[in-house]
Formats: sequence, structure tokens, C-alpha cells
Amino acid sequence: MPQRVLRRDFLGGLLILAVAAVAWWLAQPLPSGGNGGVGPGTLPKALAVILGGLGLILSVDALVAQGPGLGRWTLRGPLLILGGLALFGVAVRPLGLAVAGPLLIIVGAFASREVRWGETLVFGALMTLFCVGLFKFALGLPIPLAPWLMGY
Amino acid sequence: MELIANLGVGFATALTPMNLFLCFIGCLVGTLIGVLPGVGPIATIAMLMPLTLKVDPTGALIMLAGIYYGAQYGGSTTAILVNMPGEVTAVVTAIDGHEMAKRGEAGIALGVAALGSFVAGTIATLIIAAIGAPLTRLALLFGPAEYFGLMVLGLGLAIVLARGSVLKAVIMVVLGLLLSTVGTDLETGQERLTLGLGELSDGVDFAVLAMGVFGIAEILRNLENPESRNVAVAKVGRLLPGMAELRKCIGPVLRATGLGAVLGILPGNGAVLGPFASYALEKKLAKDPSRFGKGAIEAVAGPESANNAGAQTSFIPLLTLGIPPNAVMALMVGAMTIHGLIPGPQVMTKHPTLFWGMVASMWIGNLLLLVINLPLIGLWVRLLKVPYRLLFTTILLFCAIGIYSINNNPYDVYFTAFFGLVGYLLIKLGLEPAPMLLGFVLGRLMEEKLRQALALSEGSFMTFVERPVSAVLLAIAAVIMVIAVLPAVSRKREQAFQE
Repeated sequence: MPQRVLRRDFLGGLLILAVAAVAWWLAQPLPSGGNGGVGPGTLPKALAVILGGLGLILSVDALVAQGPGLGRWTLRGPLLILGGLALFGVAVRPLGLAVAGPLLIIVGAFASREVRWGETLVFGALMTLFCVGLFKFALGLPIPLAPWLMGY
Repeated sequence: MELIANLGVGFATALTPMNLFLCFIGCLVGTLIGVLPGVGPIATIAMLMPLTLKVDPTGALIMLAGIYYGAQYGGSTTAILVNMPGEVTAVVTAIDGHEMAKRGEAGIALGVAALGSFVAGTIATLIIAAIGAPLTRLALLFGPAEYFGLMVLGLGLAIVLARGSVLKAVIMVVLGLLLSTVGTDLETGQERLTLGLGELSDGVDFAVLAMGVFGIAEILRNLENPESRNVAVAKVGRLLPGMAELRKCIGPVLRATGLGAVLGILPGNGAVLGPFASYALEKKLAKDPSRFGKGAIEAVAGPESANNAGAQTSFIPLLTLGIPPNAVMALMVGAMTIHGLIPGPQVMTKHPTLFWGMVASMWIGNLLLLVINLPLIGLWVRLLKVPYRLLFTTILLFCAIGIYSINNNPYDVYFTAFFGLVGYLLIKLGLEPAPMLLGFVLGRLMEEKLRQALALSEGSFMTFVERPVSAVLLAIAAVIMVIAVLPAVSRKREQAFQE
């Protein structure tokens, strides 16, 4: 049984089913009727039901038939890359690109096993300088640079 | 003669120094980013969209189109030199192109790809110019029911043309449609599925979704596989093919252009199929099919031409009907919306200089690519030797700045990270995300047209069957879907994709 449950398509179907269930639940307060019989809630509910049904078929099918397993999963990449992006989002307004840029590069770089401290620091500084020159000065985009230091 | 007059207007617009400069920069930067391994045209365009924010609409679209061609050409360069295709359409090129590179003929493979693309681009530009006007007139006759039928057909085609299981393709399309309903309801102004987040009241931003699913998720996937990039190309060799090689390629290039151009017009990402179709056709026609897969020059020239022809004719549904046939065109819709343009038949009638300027710039862009790329190949090779640990952090930073700058909103960066995670999960669970993007792209427009049509017919679904054009479109969609799930055909389909 565990091998069957750990099949790729079984879990894929479950994921889809879960998404459909959440969408269906969120769509409950929306009215279904309206101008011409289709209201704001009609499509979300209908699509959620169809999606859930299809997800169920995929899962059941994977339980019954043969299918590939889950393969190798890692946490390091997703955690550091996505975490780095989130940090960039948090830092970019109050601290500016001058801080958010190197922060993203340093955190992100650790997603790779081949990371080197010195190289990352130098590269992060150079890339940030380049991006500041390109996006801030050459293109004039309103991305904050270092509000705590220069006021913009 | 209308054609020549229109192209005249177009070239007058595209050849102004400013627009020429924007086209050049677009091609150059597009190639530069497109060359990076694992970065396809979709991620490139989403990343570089901020470059065009401060330009006038015509210039912005000309530049974006340049970025698109540049990214595609850059992708082929990577496919040939390191066998790491950035997107599906370059997969075919990678097979024989990389074999040629191993033999020391990388230069000729790249040269033939550029020349083939140029020929294909020239012909495709003429096709767009010729059928753009009549199709636009036809589109003005379309009512909501017809639009709805056409988009259903598009999704049907996308499902049939998707690789892998039909069930999964349907799931991903429906997921995309569901995702497109997030945001404020157009008719009643009610918030739908927004989880109370004000940032979602305009719906999920397409650039954010595309960047997450194609840009970030791709980095995550590449990081899992230990680096096996092999720029084993000692020398690129001469770039210009000789007469004998050119003669070998003329037929395949012309055939592929026809194939690619026709497939590209289909609403439903037909352009993806062009290179595969061309490869299969040339293999069938070849005197010695066993050379294919071992560095046959036709197998580079053909698919590359089909790719470029399809890339260009896929602008037709967007510019004439306002229906984006694939993810790249959906990004173009996003760019047009930022500049206050609504894609559709009225673009050509209300903004003729923009429309024809863009068409003309396609040809100019192709010419520029030829001029830029051949001398710059040495630079691309050097860029490809940079280790991935430096490349992906650069890509990451560009993604973050690009996404933030589109709306100057940090939430877009969070959502991009979220969709990166979603894309990664989907890929790991064997669910190919491309059809989801198309479902998302067409979803909002489909719902709008569905509800308009039903409001007109006072709630009767018969309107879709009673109106002949929509009835025919829906019937075709139904037939291809039924055919796709027939056991005999689905087995053949699997075989065809394996080839």
C-alpha cells in the first residue's frame, strides 16, 4: 500500500482535488444566477467541480494501474530561492535595491551546493551595482535605491 | 496594392531612428538573456518587460517583439552549443545541432539556423501583412458566441497538442480557467476567490504567474540536477555555410516555413508543433533517414525555420482577433494593456501605424538578428561557460527587479515566489504547466464572452448551436477532443510525440 500511495500521479490527483475543494469552498458565497443565468459564482463553482472530478480520476487511476514513483525531492533549493525572493520583497521598499539585491543573491546562492562565500559577496555587489546602473539610472524606473541613506 | 501601401506605412514607422534603435536593443538583450541556459522566451519577456515601460506604445511593442525573436534565437544557440534547450521548440534543434557542434561544425549549425530563420521570418511577415487586413474585417463580424466557440477550439487544440496524457492536459487547462476567475467579477464587481487580499482584486497578474511557473520553477528544477553543462565546443568554426550546404537546406527551409506558418495561426499554441512536424517531414523525405539524429544539417535548418515562422504567425490571432494563442502572446497582451491598448480587431483600424509598424519591425528584427548574432557568437559561447551558480543568481535578481517594477508592488514578488513553488510541485508531480497558462490566458475573455452571449440570448445555451459559425467551431472542438481520447489514436499520438 505505501508504494501505491506514494505514486506521483496519485499525489498529483490529490493536490488537484485539494485545490478544487478550496476553490469550491471559497466560491460558496458568490451568487450563481444573474444576467442570462450565469452569475459571478457559476463558473468558479462549475470549474471547481469539474477539476475535482478530474483530479479524483487521476488519483484512482494511479492507484489501480502502474505508474512512476515520486522521484527525488530536495528542500534546500525551494527553501532558499523562494525565501530569498520573499526577503527581497520585504526589503525592497524600506531598505532599497542596495540592500535587497545583495540579500537575494547571497541567500539564493546557497541553494546551490557549489556556493563559495567570497565569490558570492563580490558577485552580489557587482551585480547590484550593474542593476542599479541599468534599472535606476539608465531606465529611470522608480525602484527605491537606499531610502535610509539617500532618501530615495 | 493595399498590402504595399500598408507595408509602406509600417516601414516608415519602424525605420525611424528611435524605433530602429529599440528593435536593435530588444533583439540584443533578448538574445543575451535567451542564451542563458534554462531561460526560455516566456521568462525572458516577463523579465525584460520593465525595459519597455518608459517607451511609447509602438516602440514598446517593437522592442518586445525584438526581445521575443532574440530570446528564441538565443535559445537555439544554447540548444546547439550545450544541448540545453530553454524551451520546447528548441528541443528538436538540440538533437542534430549539438551533434554538428560536437563535430566542430557549431558555426555552420548556428549560421544555417540564423539564415533559415531569416527566410522564414521574411515569408511569415508577408503572410501576416497579406491576411491581417481580411482577417480583421472577418473578426469585426464576430459576436460573443463566435468568440467563445473559437476559444473553446483553441483550448481543445492545446489539449490535443500537449505532450503526455490527455487527462493531465485537461486538468491543467481547467486549473488555468479556474485561476483566471480569481479577482473582481466584471459584471457585478464582487470579489471572487481573493482570500480577502486586496492585491488579488485585479486577478492574478499573468507576468507573475508566467515568471513563477516558467522562470523560478525552472531554476529549482535545474538546481536539482547536478550541473552537466558541457560546452565541449573547442571551436565554433566558420559560420557561413557553403553552396552545397545551402542547396541542401533550401527545400527544408521553405517546407518548414509553410508548416510553421500554418500551425502558428492556430489558436491553441500550434506553433510549438512546427519544429516537430518539420523534423518528421524531412526525415520522411530524406534519401538517408539514418543521418537524422547524427548531425544532419536539414534537421537544424528545417525546425529552426518552422519555429521562427510559427513564432511570427502566432501574432495573427492576437493582432486580428485579440485572442492570444500562447503564453508569449499573453505577455504581449499584458504589455499592450499597460500602454492602454486593447488587443483586437480595433488595433489595426484605430492604430494603423502601430499595427503595421510592428509587422514591418518583425522583418527588420529578423535581419538585425542575422547581423548581430553571427559576429557575436564568440561572446555567447563565453557567456555559456559561466558556471550555473552565478547564472541562476543573476536570473533570480533580474526576475525580482523585473516583477517588482511592473507594478512597483512587493506583493508581486511574493506571488511570483508562490507560483514558483506551485510550478515546482506541478513539475515534480508530472503535471506539465504549459496548458494551465493557456487556460488562464483565455479564461477571463471566455467567461466574458460566454456571459455576454447568454445575456443576449436571455440565458439560452442554444445560441451557441443556432449561430452557424460558433456551432461549427464548437463541433470541430468536440470532434478533435473525441478523436484524441480514442484508444487507437491516442496510441498513435504517443508514438508521434516520441519521434
